[in-house]
Amino acid sequence: MADIVLKTNNLNKTYTGKVNTPVLFDININIERGSFTALIGPSGSGKSTLLNCLGLLDPQTSGEIVFDGKSITSQNVNELAGFRNANIGFIFQFHYLLPEFTAYENILLPFWIRSGKPTPEIEKEAQRIMDRIGVLKLKNKYISEISGGQQQRVSIARALINKPKLIFADEPTGNLDRESGSAVLKLMAELNHENNITLVMVTHDREVALKADHIYELVDGKICKYLDLKKIGKTEAAKAIEEQSCEIE
Amino acid sequence: MSRQKNRYEFMIALRFLLKGRGQTVLIVLGIAIGVAVQFFLASLIGGLQISLIDRTVGSAPHINILPADRIAKAINGGKNLSDNRKVLYEERTEIYSWQQYVRELKLDSRILYAAPAANGSGFIERGTSVVPVMVKGLTAPDGLDIYKIRKKTLSGNSELSSDSALLGKGIADRLTLAVGDKFFLRNNKGDQMFLRVGGIFDLGAAAGNDLVIISMDMVRSFFGIEGISVIEVQVKDVFAAEKISKEYARQYDRVKLESWQEKNRELLTALRSQSSSSDTIQFFVIISISLGIASVLGIAAVQKQRQLGILKAMGTTDRSASKIFVIQGFLLGSLGSVLGVFFGLLLAYGFVAGTGVNFGFEINSRTLVTPLVLAMLASVVASTIPARRAAKLSPIEVIRNG
Repeated sequence: MADIVLKTNNLNKTYTGKVNTPVLFDININIERGSFTALIGPSGSGKSTLLNCLGLLDPQTSGEIVFDGKSITSQNVNELAGFRNANIGFIFQFHYLLPEFTAYENILLPFWIRSGKPTPEIEKEAQRIMDRIGVLKLKNKYISEISGGQQQRVSIARALINKPKLIFADEPTGNLDRESGSAVLKLMAELNHENNITLVMVTHDREVALKADHIYELVDGKICKYLDLKKIGKTEAAKAIEEQSCEIE
Repeated sequence: MSRQKNRYEFMIALRFLLKGRGQTVLIVLGIAIGVAVQFFLASLIGGLQISLIDRTVGSAPHINILPADRIAKAINGGKNLSDNRKVLYEERTEIYSWQQYVRELKLDSRILYAAPAANGSGFIERGTSVVPVMVKGLTAPDGLDIYKIRKKTLSGNSELSSDSALLGKGIADRLTLAVGDKFFLRNNKGDQMFLRVGGIFDLGAAAGNDLVIISMDMVRSFFGIEGISVIEVQVKDVFAAEKISKEYARQYDRVKLESWQEKNRELLTALRSQSSSSDTIQFFVIISISLGIASVLGIAAVQKQRQLGILKAMGTTDRSASKIFVIQGFLLGSLGSVLGVFFGLLLAYGFVAGTGVNFGFEINSRTLVTPLVLAMLASVVASTIPARRAAKLSPIEVIRNG
């Protein structure tokens, strides 16, 4: 049986306001430890919302999120913040780095939030990650002084610093040119394999999705397709993605 | 661990301030000017009041113990009957048992001086003019020290001898008397005494400068006073005079006690309204500082919304997010108020140099620390408004809106 790090049970999300807008309907997904899962779907299908719910940034309206076999639905805002800090790394379409800090300081921030002043070990680790990701020479540069691709690399390093169990990436290359985008993706795939990090990525790009182990396709807030690439292979998966019909209703 | 975590919030707060340098400089200057005004105002008014009080009572008795102008009651026990009887009968215009009072008063650590004095009114004859004068008989050194005669002597000496008198500047000028000059002092019975001007003093106040001071015993014999006219008391804390006076009044029911405050009600009312108007100004300065900080940090909270959202997504708690703003408030308040005190000192010295005022600024721990602490408190309190906003911010709002 697969080692499930994260699963949802009938997850629903409705945006409340003057008009209530339901966005996600009874989502049930399983994320395997160490796997690369892609969430695909057309614009407005709810994939980013799902990612934010999974990343505990946006509370679900109903349903359950189970992390390592433990339901984390009942935790309060601050407990969730601590949980995110310790277990989850985020990479967004925009780099979301703090312009007041250097690249190096940005990378260390999650550690600082968690444990206080960085230890020599963590500083060494940060430098190792920067070196691995190819941004060590940008160490003392402020965010505004580096390119978009470099900014995204720094935000990947920041996501890795606390050794999270999960990394959520929301179209991490959406804001980059093709070349830097593919370099960033290649890097993420490598990190996924090297460090056995569980990666969940929202993407528009079918090519990127086909590099994943699992693909969930969302349409109108529902899981429309689930593809296990290890079972069906890349070619079958590519075909399946092209099909308009939904496998799961 | 928690102390270290504080350092991360401190670090972020500091970085936010440093990166928004223009804004930070403006608000620090705003606080500094507010504090400077407060400090300047408090020390100016404080100095003015001290100088006024010093001029009024600095070289005068703070408490006068006068003969009761009512029939005195006999006190029982402790004293011999004849003394009591004398008191009962006569102690209405003079105090006879003054030595006992003075001895007792001198034991009180709150009291600086307690000295008897005898007053009389007479005339000075010089050439063809006859001028009425108040004659005060004092003892040395305490009696003279109450009036700070030694310090206030303009010419001559300040000693009491059997053939000399100390003259106030006012009377000396009117009679064109200089040190060494001689004159006749007459009483209302027509007796006269030949005196030399031993010294001329300036007490600063008109009434004091019309006095003729000779030794108490000379006044007593010349004016036929058997006891003394008044026991003059100077206390260490000027403002405690009334309280001390009331305390002794309960104990001494054969004499009447009068503190300087009772004699100077109008002055006190003026001082009080001056203080309260200065307090009002200071209150509004504090309000304006607080509003300034609240608005600048409020704007900063909006500007830094994105950063806060990111920090929260990475695990910053609501409490830490608000702490970042409270720390900013504290830093702005501390820097601004320290700078403000510095500005205030410059302003005070500049004011003294520019206008040549003849009183000192009252710069003490109260005038220095009060605006400092108030501005710091106001900054921290004002920062709770953006802090609350920061706490409420949900990371998803930032993430969703880009």
